[in-house]
Amino acid sequence: MERLRRTMMFVPGNNPAMIKDAGIYGADSIMFDLEDSVSLTEKDTARMLVFEALQNVDYGNSELVVRINGLDTDMGKADIYAMVKAGVEVIRLPKTETPEDVVETEKVIEEAEKYFGIEVGRTHMMAAIESAGGVLNAPAIAKASDRLIGIALGAEDYVTMMKTRRYPDGAELSFARNMILHGARAAGIAAFDTVYSDVDNTEGFNHEVEIIHELGFDGKSVINPRQIPLVNAIYAPTEKEIRNAKDVLNAIEEAHKKGSGVISLRGKMVDKPVVARAQRTMALAKASHLVDEEGNIYAE
Amino acid sequence: METTTLNLKDSYYYKQWQSLIQNEGLVIENLDDITETFGIYEDDKLIATGSYFENVLKYLAIDPDYQGGNIFNKLVSTLINELAAQNIFHVFVFTKPQYKKSFSYLGFNLIAETEYSALLETGDYSIDQYIAELPRISGKNISAIVMNANPFTLGHRYLVEQAAQKSDSVYVFVVNQDASLFKTSERLDLIKQGTADLDNVQVVSGGQYMVSFVTFPSYFIKSCSEVATYQTQLDAKVFKRIASALKITKRFVGSEPYSPTTEIYNQSLQKVLPPEVELEILDRKAIDQDIISATKVRQAIQANDLATVQKYVPETTYKFIKDNIKTLIGRIHDGN
Amino acid sequence: MEIKHTALAGTLESSDIQFTLSKGTGVEINLNSQVEKQFGKQIRKVITDLLAEYDIKNVTVRAVDKGALDCTIKARLIAAIQRATDTQNQPNWEVLG
Repeated sequence: MERLRRTMMFVPGNNPAMIKDAGIYGADSIMFDLEDSVSLTEKDTARMLVFEALQNVDYGNSELVVRINGLDTDMGKADIYAMVKAGVEVIRLPKTETPEDVVETEKVIEEAEKYFGIEVGRTHMMAAIESAGGVLNAPAIAKASDRLIGIALGAEDYVTMMKTRRYPDGAELSFARNMILHGARAAGIAAFDTVYSDVDNTEGFNHEVEIIHELGFDGKSVINPRQIPLVNAIYAPTEKEIRNAKDVLNAIEEAHKKGSGVISLRGKMVDKPVVARAQRTMALAKASHLVDEEGNIYAE
Repeated sequence: METTTLNLKDSYYYKQWQSLIQNEGLVIENLDDITETFGIYEDDKLIATGSYFENVLKYLAIDPDYQGGNIFNKLVSTLINELAAQNIFHVFVFTKPQYKKSFSYLGFNLIAETEYSALLETGDYSIDQYIAELPRISGKNISAIVMNANPFTLGHRYLVEQAAQKSDSVYVFVVNQDASLFKTSERLDLIKQGTADLDNVQVVSGGQYMVSFVTFPSYFIKSCSEVATYQTQLDAKVFKRIASALKITKRFVGSEPYSPTTEIYNQSLQKVLPPEVELEILDRKAIDQDIISATKVRQAIQANDLATVQKYVPETTYKFIKDNIKTLIGRIHDGN
Repeated sequence: MEIKHTALAGTLESSDIQFTLSKGTGVEINLNSQVEKQFGKQIRKVITDLLAEYDIKNVTVRAVDKGALDCTIKARLIAAIQRATDTQNQPNWEVLG
């Protein structure tokens, strides 16, 4: 089953206090940043901090992601080698413009895996798209490597390039969000939305999460732990959705018992996307503590 | 929370900075003594600031609502890391005595303190290392003179001679700050040459611990007399620490009829040094009632008047000036 | 490995540690930590073990600890060593095992 990625929490790679505590907030993914949040003079030491933390700190069930510096910098290659060696789950490329960027990075990752005697293919990737060119290439980028688990929108640079800024209604991001979402869905990988930097504006944040939830994004990038429960609340399924999902899953079970290949519910065929959605709904319900391990609704 | 450099030439930032500094009760002397300034912002509010000049941290101030937390550590750390990026690892801070504990928690060691101020240092060098590197001289009555000697004149020579007669051995500490017409190495050489015949005189560098940008910035940068008073008292305390390690019991200074700053300095020495170190103020040497001073020598250099120069300086200094007169005049014109 | 020049890594913020490495004779460690009593021995051990792994025999280490985890101590010291030996972007993977 596909993993839940409602929240990806950004953690500056040069901040030991935040790195140490990153696991306690229940983010689905934690993204340690070696790129924009780290000043040029601190790149080397941030790399070692994250390298050591990945191997020594317990981050529970959170998926561990590291945003590296691009291969067009002095740091990129050493970042990749260090993170591959540390056993990171996902390497995030910044500022992806073309599918070739993904392929280039994959080559270095493979080189590093071989160098360290690690199973080739174990290190996954995701690509952040932060420019007009990148947005237009999103479908191709999303299919550029089997290692990709998702693509993400990075809106800070994007809106500047588009000669605009962030607005509450999100109209300035509507095209980019749809491109990235379609690219991801066509490739069968996850789609992540950008950060919302005004951490004190709960209302504005909730509004934005509602927009991307409605569009179909897997989740949102967060820069402050306080934003995590807000995202989770919006992604929590309703009781009706849970009940419906349970019905679908029960129907599957019944069909299996009968040895029937055809699954039907209330006289209608249950096909693959419906099953996948039901499974995701139950996973979300469990993550939101709305059902127990067996799928029983707590309220009952 | 965001850390950023502050452009004090922009009045918008200057006003924010000024109000924070003045809240802290710090006196803004002269922006020329700041190399770079950092600010920490919470949203649009400046909540902490700190600057440095060469390797000295200064103008550190934190909004009262944010004191006692991690902001202070963040501020000092930002400054130290910035200096380290410039390969400067020996860092001083001149601060109020009540903050010395906060700095010691960050690895700073106290060099000296007075009731007004404290001087601390951290990094890859220390006053103890400086003291350990100084040559040891024996004898019962060891005295000291601290001089900039910009350049070494017959007046300086007279001071050293007097000290050499009145004590068994004399340390001549040379101000080690390249902020004068004559470079540190030149001043040191001219003093060594000009005192070579005096067997009981040891010429050494004053390092950053004697009349430097660290201990006594007002010597180089104009400031009010109150500031000069607390700086000179601290400088005197630092001297006392070095004197005690070297068993120096007496310091000679020349009387100062011209410079109010040096006059304040002598007063501070008189207040701080005794009883452990005796202060003897010697009258300045005059030729035909014309007191010799390095200032007059520099004026003569500027006027390309070698005859006047020769009147005030020993042969060794005269030769150097004569050989380098063009370079020296050039330096004066370039603003040194 | 030889220390080529003084280098600093780390910060004075909470949960961090600041290292200054400079040339020295033998290994000398000056540790400033508010938890020196409880953890001083452990911190020193992390430092000496790592210096030994890098085969650094002559160095003066100044450390100002603000409650760093062992892995943070290691990370900052590695960064300081890399800076003091001019090898920031050529990590020694054998030692980082």
